[in-house]
Amino acid sequence: MTAIQPTATMAGRYQRAFTIAVVVLVAGWHLVGGGGQLLDYRSAYGSFAFQCAMWLVMALAITAGSLLVLRGTPSWRAAWAVALVALVASTAAAAASPASEMLAVNWAWGSAGWTGVLVLLRRRFSELAWFLAAEALATLGVQVWDGLTRTDLAGFLAVLAWSTGAQVAVAAGVRALDLAAGQAATAARSEDAARERAATAEIIRAARHARWLSLQGSAAPLVAELAAGTADPGDAQVRIRCAVQAARLRRLLAEGDEVPGSLVHELHASADVAERRGVAVEIETAGPLPAVPGPARRVITDAAIAILTDARSQARITLAAVAAGIAVSFVADTGAVVQLPSAGAGVAIEHQQDGGMLWAEARWNSR
Amino acid sequence: MEQQVTVAIIEDHPVVTEGVASWIRSDPGQRVRLVLTARDLTGLQSGQGPSADVVILDLELSGELVTAQIPGLVADGYRVVAFSGHSEPTIVMETLDNGAHAYVSKEEGRDHLVEAVLAAATDRPYVTRSQARAMLADQRPDRPTLSQQEQQALLLWFQGMTKASVGRRMSISENTVRQYISRARAKYAATGRTAQSKDALLARAIEDGVIKPGEIVPYQSFARAAANRPSLGAPGQ
Repeated sequence: MTAIQPTATMAGRYQRAFTIAVVVLVAGWHLVGGGGQLLDYRSAYGSFAFQCAMWLVMALAITAGSLLVLRGTPSWRAAWAVALVALVASTAAAAASPASEMLAVNWAWGSAGWTGVLVLLRRRFSELAWFLAAEALATLGVQVWDGLTRTDLAGFLAVLAWSTGAQVAVAAGVRALDLAAGQAATAARSEDAARERAATAEIIRAARHARWLSLQGSAAPLVAELAAGTADPGDAQVRIRCAVQAARLRRLLAEGDEVPGSLVHELHASADVAERRGVAVEIETAGPLPAVPGPARRVITDAAIAILTDARSQARITLAAVAAGIAVSFVADTGAVVQLPSAGAGVAIEHQQDGGMLWAEARWNSR
Repeated sequence: MEQQVTVAIIEDHPVVTEGVASWIRSDPGQRVRLVLTARDLTGLQSGQGPSADVVILDLELSGELVTAQIPGLVADGYRVVAFSGHSEPTIVMETLDNGAHAYVSKEEGRDHLVEAVLAAATDRPYVTRSQARAMLADQRPDRPTLSQQEQQALLLWFQGMTKASVGRRMSISENTVRQYISRARAKYAATGRTAQSKDALLARAIEDGVIKPGEIVPYQSFARAAANRPSLGAPGQ
């Protein structure tokens, strides 16, 4: 039987893979893209050291952001703290760049945008939109301060479309993949559930078959003997065999019903046969009874059948909750000692004969 | 017993009253005398003191449970033996907690009702199998702690063994079996709401040596029982 994988775990594993991909993308962008641009234009900056410092601040923000998202979806405080550090660093870097070449030498806009994507990826989409807009406005603000020309504006729009467009596309892509992963996991789970159901149905079918087989070996020959006339219904031995088989049939039918307290149910079914013979059977329970597993129930009902078959006029069956289990007892006027079935499946059977009265107790212990 | 125990039957089904009366008549020792039958409780509330030593009370009169009336009857000086078809453990426990001396289910009536009445008349415990069942099934947090032996004796008795068989099973005398079961019952008399019938049961149990004062959990009950002792004489006095 296949173990069912919890949907959440499966979808979670896919989401983690997407997160790692985004971390690699953002770190790679900052190192290669941002770092490369910084080195290429190192002579163009007023202060290369300041740009390097901002680059390092951005690198720290990305590291912090990566650690946060790898531990799960960050809180809004943590996510926005990282995003704002990136925003401030990039704006400072832009402001410290030479006015005429600002867009060409500006490594920071892209890195800051990607940092925002990293930490706001799985938060509301509008948060990322607000951040990217703020980042773009900050850069535009620096340009306006420096004196905005028409060429500058065209350059700004081009970079905005290219860089922010890519960032939004990645964020939207991860979102779509997250959704798909969730759906895939749900589908896989329902497939597993279907397989599980089929396996259960097979077990139930096998159990039914086993019951049918056990009847073939006991009840069927008896019926055949009766029909052929080789077994005489007037013979006490034959009548006892009939009573036992009738009780078994009844128990097998009751076993199939999945009703709560099914041990009581099965004992009632066994008692039914004895009652038809004129034996007064009372069944009483005391306390909240634990659920008893199938094999143990079978040992107990076998004992019940043996005792009830020999009961002459009265029998009392009680089920009592005892420490860590259940005590099922039988008191019946059986006359002689009854051949009790052997104990097993966690059931211990004890008995005591007092004159014509038999007391027997089947005790099942859950430990 | 030199004097008959007087009994009243409160039962709304005449055929049941007739049956109980016949059990009383067929008692070989004629130890019980029926003095009153009624279909409800109004006949007992004369205010003249108890008109019988023991009341056999059907717990359901005209479709209504009357367990809540038991404290009133007990306060009037009656000893109550509940005789009912309601054998659910919660109802049995409530009946005892309200001060009834014993509980006898309708199925147990023939074998146990007269004996339960006689035991109640002397404030001695009488534990039927259905009452043992209710005690075993008791899950209330304030239930008394029973010893392992008491628990085992109750369980075997509930299972349907005779007390002699229980004794053989536990390798003790039949008398010790009675002691264990009575002690368990006495422990119940020491818990829950207070009632003079429960105090009387406890005091008698101590007098009979069934239970020691130290074995009773709420000590106050015993103290009150001892203080009330002189007024609770033998039945018929």
